[in-house]
Amino acid sequence: MNAALEAPTLDELLRRARAAGSPAGVSLVDGRGRRGARRTWSQLLAAAEVAAGRLAALGVERGEPVVLALGTGAEFLELWFGAVLRGALPVASAPPGGLGSSELAFRRLSAVVERIGARRVVGAESLAREALVLDLPALASAVVTPAAVAELAPAPFAARAPAEGDIAFLQLTSGSTGVPRAVRVTQRGAAHNPRAMLSALACADPLLEAGLAAGGASCVSWLPLHHDMGLVGCLLSALAGGVDLLLAAPRTFLGRPETWLANLGSVPLAIAAAPNFAYGLCAERVAPEMLPGADLAGWRAALCGAEMVRPETAAAFAQRFAPLGFDAAALRPCYGLAEATLAVTFEARGAGVRRAAPSGAGGPSVVCLGPPVLDTTVRVTAPDGTALGNGAVGEVHVRGPGVFAGYHNDPEATAESLRDGWLATGDQGFLRQGELYLTGRTKEILILNGQNLMPHELEWIAESAAGGAGAARAAAFSVDGAAGERAVVVLEVEEAEPAALAELAREIKVRTGRLLGVPLADCAFVRRGKLPKTTSGKVKRGEARALYLARELERLPEAGA
Amino acid sequence: MSDRREVVLDVLALVSGVPRASLRPEQDLVADLGLDSPKAVRLLVELEERLGAEIDDAEAAGLSTVGDLLQLADLHA
Repeated sequence: MNAALEAPTLDELLRRARAAGSPAGVSLVDGRGRRGARRTWSQLLAAAEVAAGRLAALGVERGEPVVLALGTGAEFLELWFGAVLRGALPVASAPPGGLGSSELAFRRLSAVVERIGARRVVGAESLAREALVLDLPALASAVVTPAAVAELAPAPFAARAPAEGDIAFLQLTSGSTGVPRAVRVTQRGAAHNPRAMLSALACADPLLEAGLAAGGASCVSWLPLHHDMGLVGCLLSALAGGVDLLLAAPRTFLGRPETWLANLGSVPLAIAAAPNFAYGLCAERVAPEMLPGADLAGWRAALCGAEMVRPETAAAFAQRFAPLGFDAAALRPCYGLAEATLAVTFEARGAGVRRAAPSGAGGPSVVCLGPPVLDTTVRVTAPDGTALGNGAVGEVHVRGPGVFAGYHNDPEATAESLRDGWLATGDQGFLRQGELYLTGRTKEILILNGQNLMPHELEWIAESAAGGAGAARAAAFSVDGAAGERAVVVLEVEEAEPAALAELAREIKVRTGRLLGVPLADCAFVRRGKLPKTTSGKVKRGEARALYLARELERLPEAGA
Repeated sequence: MSDRREVVLDVLALVSGVPRASLRPEQDLVADLGLDSPKAVRLLVELEERLGAEIDDAEAAGLSTVGDLLQLADLHA
């Protein structure tokens, strides 16, 4: 094992990786899937040190959150690592963009900046312009372009070795209400999690173990770097393990999924991670004939996480690419979340996708996500906090070096999630022979194509389309479709005229599309007072969803529906 | 109809799965044709490829309907 992997802090990990001078590094993949020149990890970290000096020249202090609203590229890499070396807290954020107005993405970013008290957002010139148009002056004035940072002469700053419990960076994650939360990832967690993941990979596969030890493995990723699976799972793990990283932008994969597989098939020993939807997209859009010369036999770890793993998707993918040598046993479901730095459990037997059902009448069989990773403990608890036994369904709790140090500037949310050193994940599942199976979520977020969506944003759109000044109430949730989760909104209305309701449904669908870029699978109407609520009047989304699925909602008829 | 408009309709039908003959300028890309974010990105990438044009973020932000895409084809002619 190399020295960087044993580092107690992220800061120390970066210093050791820089000194190691390994020939491994990162190659950026362009929009057509072509691999650029490799920059060794040492070279990248040398550039990051210059960036750290520039951030110091900009006036960035130790411990100061710096938002990076940048896409995948050299600028992001240098500035993210530069911020860590400066002792500041990088906060990777999705750069707003896409089809239609992404107004809500700008508002979300603005709210994040305010919540975490960031003074600077490194992003495109257009970000500042759009922020002004939307009347978000605080965001507009915080924007600094990467070009402007690059023009600064690096200033000296006093580097101080952080303690293991110090914060290394902030990871944005969606709560079910309000603005995204910023997870405080510790120096210890950021250094430990890559080691935990790499050792989980190695223990299931001797070929991979040998390749990792000899520095002959490549990670091929298009995952966004503002997502924990892209940042920690791919970038930090590759750097820590002296693994080559072939890094593309998400857009490259979504536009040309075959480029991901072609790159995976061009290296002798490959690792990659992606959400379930990505495997489905490949099975649907890529034919083996589109990948001349690709050999997928060396793809020893095809990790699947971030959304529920569907056995039928895994099977379709494995079958489709078996002619190119893809081994179904390489498909490794895993479980992680930003609040645990990332990895919690990894399928470790190299036995592909397996399933089991909870005890008794606990529900249908679900996919095995493997045992906890290195130094990590998982328990399943009843609502009263008592630990449950084999096969019983409850809330999944996690303890270990990756567990976060709370949400930045959000003590209430922190108190809900961190209890006596245990992370209460909000996910439901059970343990069987020490392996974890997830059955659902108690957090009410929607996960569409690997992207988290907050229900309150959908509800706000529906309620405001109905024109009721806070009077109309809505519930948003997801339902399972053939290809993944789909969004549904149920709205309470006064008006019950079928033609008017049909018009309102379309208006809500159009606004949702324009503001969030998300198609609604269904928009249902009920009479006022028919949505289940708590005594304090809060809509119970889970109950609304159960009623909807059981077809027990008293839906008002729409014209043409 | 211009060849470039034809290209737009071909790509849209391919990406959305909606038959070409049912496409109308007033249709909304997300609400009516069901383009989720992976499909929207694929649409932009395919259009760039087949129209030989680059569609920047500001332009993409102005695209909401089938008609907007047809106008884009004219713009990049």
